[in-house]
Amino acid sequence: MPVNAEKEIAKLWRNVHSAQAENCKTYYRWREVALELAGPDVKPLDVGLKAAEMMGKDIGKDFLPRTNWLKGEEGFMMNLGKALAGLWITEGGLATAEKGDAPGEIFIKCTRDPWPTVAKQYGVPMEEVAQARERLFQTILEDVSVFMNIPVKIEMLKAIPRGEGMYLFRLYKEN
Amino acid sequence: MAKQLFEWDYSSYPGAKSYPHLFKPIQIGNLTIPNRIKYAATEDNLNDHNGFVTDADVAYLKRRAEGVVGGMCFMQGVYMDEARKGQGYVGQAACWNDKFIPGLKRLADAIHEEKAIAGFQLMDCGRVGAVEVDAGHGPSTVPQRLRIFKPMYEMTHAEVKEMIQQHVDAAKRGIEAGFDIIEISGIVGYLISNFLSSYTNRRTDEYGGDVRGRSQSMIEIIQGVKEVCGPDIPLGIRLCSEELLDDVRGNTPDESMITYQLAEEAGADYISCTLGWQESIYPVISRDIPQGNWLHLAKRAKAHVKIPIQMAYRLFTPDKPNKAIGDGELDIWEMCRSMIADPLMPKKVLEGREDEIRHCVACNLCLARLFRDAPMTCYINPLCAHEHDEKFYPSPVEADEQKEVMIVGAGPAGLECAYVAAQRGHDVHVYDKRQEPGGTLLEASRAPYGDEELMTCIHYQKTMCEKAGVEFHLGTEVTDSLVQEEMPDTVVLATGPVYSKIQGLGADRNNVVNVLDVMGGKVEVGDKVVVWGNRKPGIGVALHLAKQGKKVTIVGKEKSAGFDINPSFKWRYMIYLRQNGVMAYNDCDIEEISEGEIMVRTYDGYRFPVECDTVVVSEREANASLKNVVQGEGIEVFVIGDALLPRNLSSAVHDGYRIGLRI
Repeated sequence: MPVNAEKEIAKLWRNVHSAQAENCKTYYRWREVALELAGPDVKPLDVGLKAAEMMGKDIGKDFLPRTNWLKGEEGFMMNLGKALAGLWITEGGLATAEKGDAPGEIFIKCTRDPWPTVAKQYGVPMEEVAQARERLFQTILEDVSVFMNIPVKIEMLKAIPRGEGMYLFRLYKEN
Repeated sequence: MAKQLFEWDYSSYPGAKSYPHLFKPIQIGNLTIPNRIKYAATEDNLNDHNGFVTDADVAYLKRRAEGVVGGMCFMQGVYMDEARKGQGYVGQAACWNDKFIPGLKRLADAIHEEKAIAGFQLMDCGRVGAVEVDAGHGPSTVPQRLRIFKPMYEMTHAEVKEMIQQHVDAAKRGIEAGFDIIEISGIVGYLISNFLSSYTNRRTDEYGGDVRGRSQSMIEIIQGVKEVCGPDIPLGIRLCSEELLDDVRGNTPDESMITYQLAEEAGADYISCTLGWQESIYPVISRDIPQGNWLHLAKRAKAHVKIPIQMAYRLFTPDKPNKAIGDGELDIWEMCRSMIADPLMPKKVLEGREDEIRHCVACNLCLARLFRDAPMTCYINPLCAHEHDEKFYPSPVEADEQKEVMIVGAGPAGLECAYVAAQRGHDVHVYDKRQEPGGTLLEASRAPYGDEELMTCIHYQKTMCEKAGVEFHLGTEVTDSLVQEEMPDTVVLATGPVYSKIQGLGADRNNVVNVLDVMGGKVEVGDKVVVWGNRKPGIGVALHLAKQGKKVTIVGKEKSAGFDINPSFKWRYMIYLRQNGVMAYNDCDIEEISEGEIMVRTYDGYRFPVECDTVVVSEREANASLKNVVQGEGIEVFVIGDALLPRNLSSAVHDGYRIGLRI
């Protein structure tokens, strides 16, 4: 029963990467559709941010069934951070969630992100990519905050598309 | 002097001697209830989508009213707002206008015709409502945890007042329709429970704050409805004794008990004790929860209030509620699903016919259908929700139409068909090569997490067969020559499925065994087992083996494991698979079996090995054996159950019932 593990894994890997690339491309293709339908008076950045909001709202709904207070505030915040990092990893990013110094503070780092590369191919400004990511995460957390009755916030400290070498987000509970 | 609506004397019935506490009266408010039995309000989706009562619902409820033998029979909860935000089910009855009273009166009359006490329930579904509109209402805007529910928005102070008045107005209509008891539903995520819970109520006005404030709307509803009821009509409320929402910071059990005390102080005459919300992450009523598991909550409730306490959850047989009532831990035995499965269940208990009870198997198919806007049905009761349709009842055949019927297979399909056909007057013979009836359920019921309850179906069917005069030929394999020798008028093939053969290399190795042999303990399996097939039989055997400490991997062609299990129960199995370390490779097949491992191939061609010393085959196919022979002899033939198409217990029972009516 010979199986060439290297070959099988390589095939799987190629397909995963293709799916991730296709995911990015599909988004930007739809962005072009939206811009064309919206007409010349609409700012592309506004469309991009609105899309991030709508997607974030929907992704946030998927977070709710797994949102859980049984491990207390620290566990809750870390789970949120891991969920956001995990989302990025699924898209092809290289992301981690790490505990900060302040209580409940989590830092999400992403040192590789496929979105800017694909955005460039579709002529999308880098600043839109950065702002859309921040808006996406903020919107995901909106429903989570209301659901748990905890003011969870996230802010972008660094962004790859701004030439800062990495994304760095600070996830925290607003006092 | 308390009022008694109907005279009942149970003293001559055997059930009253076996279960004396169930058949003794109790006073609720100023009304004497002859026994301790209640069919609790249960949605059935049988009504008109505009809220008007239908013939189907009247017939459904009348049958349950007959079953409670003088006890309480509640109609489903009604929604009370014209905007339909409180409507949680497409076929839910409405009561926001006087135009609904005639239909409601039909229900009350139907219950009274059976000399039972007619209960009317007020139910704004709140967070789980708005089934026909875009958005629902609640004390605060808290996002839905489950996507199937509509977004909901915070009610203004005026809207809260209006909602309270809607309860009062609807209660008036219920009384005008002729109901004897009014009940308020405050459970599982419905509006009252939303107000009570710290999870969903973040208001800062008088309807929010601490548990006293969160209870204020409930208190005003009870007080308002109580005034309408007057001294003669009791008022009850269903309340969570535990929300099971600690993961989202819901009420503590102590807070829930405070809501019980506040309800009593406000004027409630009884409390129906429930637990859990629809969005709780803990199981409450599925088969994996032992019978009587929640009685301690009724006991605790009784320690906190003086009014009678009622309870339904996982009390399917009379012994436990009888004892609990005798021990002073419970006052009234409620039933929902157990009387969906057998509407005459308590009547059979009273008459000493317990062996004729078709027990609920706690599969929650009834709930799954309600949440998908489908009319109620029951996994094991084919007549459920068809009570109004005479075609669904066994009708006697004329003497010259009586047939000799050979039923091949004494599983659930064959037995169901057998007793129904025999009741109609046919001469029915059931053959099975095994020595005992049950078919593949004999093995399936050995799976863990409560599956032994599945055998109650066989016990019921066997009793009914015996009482209907069915002749059993157990230990007799039906062959071509036996068919030719007997030459019956009709043959029903209920032989169960055949098990598929693995198409890959090595399928004939002696470490490939059949699921029935494994579950029956006829073969030994190794420590690393692969189960081929990811439907219910595969999951059952996987859990059975994992419980023995074996490393189990499921390989199956379906896209998700257990896709054939109804969604209201499937989540339990998925959790158990994870807890027992069972890995499932879905969308996959076995390409090759060799020494110590198998090769798995995904639907799109990836291959990977899995360590394995035994392969258990659970994939099934239709069974066409005997069909050609029977047809060749010109004999009428029916194929039912898994022999027709491998499915589940429900399909077997429903197939059997329908063919039993047709022969």
